Amino acid sequence: MITPPFEFSLIVTAAADVLTVEVAGELDHQTSDALVRTVVGHLSPGGAAFRRVRLDFGRLTWIDSMGLSALLAVHRHAGAVGVTLHLDSRPGFLERLLTLTGTLDHLTTTVTTTAAAGDPVPEAEAG
Amino acid sequence: MISPQGRPGGSSGAGVSVGSTWSDAPCPVLVVDRDGGIVEVNDAARALLPRAADAGRLPEGLPDWLADAHRRMAGGRDAAHADPLSGAIGDRLFDAHPTPSSDGDVVWWLIDDTDRRLAEETLRSEQERAAILSEVSSTLLSSLSLSHCMESTARLAAHHLADAAVLIAPAQGLSHPVTSALADGPVTLTTRAVDPATVPGLAEALQGFPPVPTRWIDPGAVPSWAIPEGFKGPVGSVIVTPLPGHGIPDGALILLRSDAGPAFTESEDGFARLLAARAGAALSAARLYDDQARITAVLMRELLPPALGGVHGVEYAGRYRPFQDSERIGGDFYDVHPGADPSQESLVVLGDVAGKGLDAAVLTGRIRNTLHALLPLAHDHAYVLNLLNAALLRSPEARFATLVLASARRRGNRVRLRLTSAGHPPPLVLRADGRVEETRTRGDLVGVMPTVSVRTEETVLAPGETCLLYTDGITEARGGPLGGELYGLERLERDLAGCAGMPAEAVVERVHMLAAQWLGQGRHDDMAVVAISAPRTGPLAVISGYADPHNARKRQGRNS
Repeated sequence: MITPPFEFSLIVTAAADVLTVEVAGELDHQTSDALVRTVVGHLSPGGAAFRRVRLDFGRLTWIDSMGLSALLAVHRHAGAVGVTLHLDSRPGFLERLLTLTGTLDHLTTTVTTTAAAGDPVPEAEAG
Repeated sequence: MISPQGRPGGSSGAGVSVGSTWSDAPCPVLVVDRDGGIVEVNDAARALLPRAADAGRLPEGLPDWLADAHRRMAGGRDAAHADPLSGAIGDRLFDAHPTPSSDGDVVWWLIDDTDRRLAEETLRSEQERAAILSEVSSTLLSSLSLSHCMESTARLAAHHLADAAVLIAPAQGLSHPVTSALADGPVTLTTRAVDPATVPGLAEALQGFPPVPTRWIDPGAVPSWAIPEGFKGPVGSVIVTPLPGHGIPDGALILLRSDAGPAFTESEDGFARLLAARAGAALSAARLYDDQARITAVLMRELLPPALGGVHGVEYAGRYRPFQDSERIGGDFYDVHPGADPSQESLVVLGDVAGKGLDAAVLTGRIRNTLHALLPLAHDHAYVLNLLNAALLRSPEARFATLVLASARRRGNRVRLRLTSAGHPPPLVLRADGRVEETRTRGDLVGVMPTVSVRTEETVLAPGETCLLYTDGITEARGGPLGGELYGLERLERDLAGCAGMPAEAVVERVHMLAAQWLGQGRHDDMAVVAISAPRTGPLAVISGYADPHNARKRQGRNS
């Protein structure tokens, strides 16, 4: 047995203006794409207009550098449409990775890029 | 219906007893007397041998092989039931069955055997061709070397099909690689500027157009460059066929036969195309592999981790294991940039790019080059890291990296270190007494945020002490006795403590080995370790620089 028996899964709940994604299992080079695709898919223009994305890591079992890469990508996409990212129920190893790499503040701060400020933001806030 | 009367045990002479029976037989029948004269023939025989029918009793009417057989028969030297005789009449083949009669006449029954013989011949030839094609495929597919494939194609084609074969590969610049072979003779490879227009059909074949039928090609028009040295006699027959590759033609094959032998038949022309199709597929695969292997080798040379040693009185050692054991490069990297002289710091870099394999390796190459260019600023780690960060942010793909910078300089018999982590696990320091300290440098990773803030830490290594830089591939190696368990920082620190007093080379070897053992067959990330050691022994005057045998690796950075 090589990999731990934790199935990777994403449980998506869309309520009012909050998109919640519960990430369970390992977020690594095999699974990180799925997280980015899922969140970006829900934030795409024409879908429901969310103001916040909550990633719930209560059942996350491991994250590697590709997992961190995925969080940064989600943050970038969220920022581009003026959506705030929240990282909830962070296990110790995630906290340590975010602290070590200095990315915790960055990920939980909305960076509204100048490009994004022009078009999709008013639409997102209207919903 | 004919056999009872024909048997030698028959009571009457042939002329009488076979009467109307044999004359109606569908096969040609001749009655020949003792002297070889033709007594009677039936309609089928008359149609077959009009001269025999007209010749009356003259023996000239019979084909030679039948006349000979008849003479032997009449001389009593051959038994009546000898093996069937056979021979050609016109363009057909016949078996001849004799039935002698008591008065010396012989009735010859001729059975047309042409179609069976042809079928057998065709079958044998097809079997041979299938065997040849199978030989060609297995010979060519067992090799991915392009030159070997070209050589085999020319050799096999010449051996099985022609007196000589010439393979013209696609042009490289202005010249074509040309491989020629004589049947069962030597194979020669040359590269020469050839004008395809000089061989009829060659220019078309090299562009992949369907081959020109062999009967349209004038053998006398083949230029001397296309005729291998040692080819006997003038060219009698030529086949020019394309070698179809994957989508694009992979050259052309010219087959030559001397005018002393038979010319190529239409069927051989077709077979040559089959052979060329097999060879083309194999050549194309070999060419693709060859091209990629060459590109990979060139890129790899740039991306492989460097060999480390002693520089200015400080020992360096590194180990690297990529994510896939079949690859030699990946997302981890390290470099040691020697100071201009022993009074200057050398800069050690160890880092990890998010991702694996070739993509990651290409980014490591960019980071290594950028840092190389920033060496004159290496006295300020934070500045270097911010410049690198800005460079990565400008690059199209959103990738980040974590790394450690270590500036090392020998002072007396000690080594002074400045260490800065940019989002990377902080280096460990192994003291002489076996204590392992985790350094307190911290900093942001590069390539994500507009600026990076870092905290540099300074430390001093006494003789025999080592600073270990490592990537998370080591601590995150999953395996152990139960499988799936992380090697982890604690285990690394404990194992490192066991290396107290070892030289740098031994420390990295041991750490690398223990992590690899822990891993077993488990999946893993790239792993890299670099050790920086203050040598335990050696000339203390090494600070002068003259005692250092390893400073040949100085590459640049002679800025101050």
